[in-house]
Amino acid sequence: MSRGPSEAASDSGLKAGIGWRHRHYRELLERLPTLDFLEVHSENFFAQGGAALAVLERGRQSYPVSLHGVGLSLGSAIGIDDWHLDQLASLVQRIEPILVSDHACFSRAAHGTGIVHAADLLPLPFSHEALDVLCANVQKVQDRLNQPFMVENLSAYIAWKQPYRDDEAEALLSEADFLIALSRRTGCSLLVDVNNIYVNALNAQIAGDPGDPATRCMEWLDAIPASCVGELHLAGHCHVNNEHGNIVIDDHGSRVCEPVWQIYQHAVRRFGQVPTLIEWDTDVPALDVLLDEADRARAVARTVTQPGRSLHHEHEHE
Amino acid sequence: MSMSMSRLATQQQALVGALFSLPSDNGIKKIANYVVDTDYRGLKAYQMNARALAERVLQSAYPVLAQLLGDESFAALARAFWHASPPVKGDLAQWGGVLADFVHASEQLADEPYLPDVARVEWAMHASAGRADRAADPATFQWLMTGDPERLRLVLAPGCQVVCSLWPVVSIITAHLADSPVFDGVSRKLNDRTAEDAVVWRMGHQPRVREALSGEAGLLAALRIGGSLDTALQSAPGLDFNAWLPLAVQTGLLLAVEPIGVDPV
Repeated sequence: MSRGPSEAASDSGLKAGIGWRHRHYRELLERLPTLDFLEVHSENFFAQGGAALAVLERGRQSYPVSLHGVGLSLGSAIGIDDWHLDQLASLVQRIEPILVSDHACFSRAAHGTGIVHAADLLPLPFSHEALDVLCANVQKVQDRLNQPFMVENLSAYIAWKQPYRDDEAEALLSEADFLIALSRRTGCSLLVDVNNIYVNALNAQIAGDPGDPATRCMEWLDAIPASCVGELHLAGHCHVNNEHGNIVIDDHGSRVCEPVWQIYQHAVRRFGQVPTLIEWDTDVPALDVLLDEADRARAVARTVTQPGRSLHHEHEHE
Repeated sequence: MSMSMSRLATQQQALVGALFSLPSDNGIKKIANYVVDTDYRGLKAYQMNARALAERVLQSAYPVLAQLLGDESFAALARAFWHASPPVKGDLAQWGGVLADFVHASEQLADEPYLPDVARVEWAMHASAGRADRAADPATFQWLMTGDPERLRLVLAPGCQVVCSLWPVVSIITAHLADSPVFDGVSRKLNDRTAEDAVVWRMGHQPRVREALSGEAGLLAALRIGGSLDTALQSAPGLDFNAWLPLAVQTGLLLAVEPIGVDPV
């Protein structure tokens, strides 16, 4: 993970990247800023040719690329779409990414007389049945891609009911136990989205959880073995309070908030300096804003590896 | 719902059904047995996200249709289409290909009968953008001087397609996509019901559209199904091939000439 402009990026040891979105295609190729890797949404490059794929191939010449999917629907009870997996496999072969990932969610289901794809990251119940389905689908993807694969935790806006509270075999697992079991059974790594954990904790607080959200997040991280974690994601979120109610949405539309930076610091302390990505998908700002966020991730990592340095000290010297 | 359906499949079907149901408030009933009571706000969040996504995806594929309808009507169209014809693939660039038929069937849009053809041309342009790249091979054009038309095949640009219309679709689309749109001529052609067949292709990475020359639709249709140059010319009796050829080469519509029966190198 060290070529061209990425070579000088990681004096902290932490590999920091940004989500490369349409607004920055041209500017990034012209400036070639210091970054350790770029992450793109796999589905945006499923075409067999054309401008987008050409841009990605140019970016690939200067940076390692991570392919992050949003559409495999790894938790679907009806299975994953072979067409989708074919497209991903073709893209992986073409781009030779350093990382490939998708989400612990479902999108495909039977509807009406056919199968539809809801184009969203819908939550799974943390049931043994869902775990079996997820493991089988992840294994199928890994067998096809023949390279390490990562699965990301979700920000979820609904919670499934506990089906049979008195039956231990049917009881829902905790999210952490669900993901640990997934990793152990399939060998996949976990892509831990720190903001997603925080969004879930904030929504749990709105729903009545008396615990402190940041503390809940650190407990969540503490439950995950470091050996399972392959990447961290950071992003912004928004609070929506309107006629429909009060909710926190993982909109990837703002800077990473201070509590999430603190939780991220805990994550780096816990998991080591795993590659970290800044995601920004809504109202994408100037490229320099994303680069600044990536720099801050490196600075946070340095405070962990060099405990005498404070974040304040880091910013004075950057 | 099958008795043998797993609990997980039932849960997932219920949630997806809730997201695609209309009116959207009906969705709550579909998932009431499966999610905790406080989560109806969450269902609304998913529904709102889908609504915004549908509009954004269709706006990208149908920029002219969006301009013609205006923001409010196009948003309503996108929402109705999302529910009537949900995505089936995880790549949303694949979603929306039958919007023209949906528009055609819409009573509310019946007063603007040219809209379905505008949508057809825009989808052809959208689809061409992702076709496999192929470079021009000008050296092969010499075959046209020496080869037998029965044993030659013309290689067209990625995504080449002809959309036949009884309306001035090319004028409508090019006027709306121009940097400085001028609509005077378009209005006149609409009033006169001027028919225009659209040729869509990709020049480099850029989708293009222009009005077909006389007879060109027949030529391109024959070539697209693998017909020989001779067969294609017989399908296009009204075409001035000597005028078409330099235009096709200069605009990247014609990429190469191949002898039939010889594998391309």
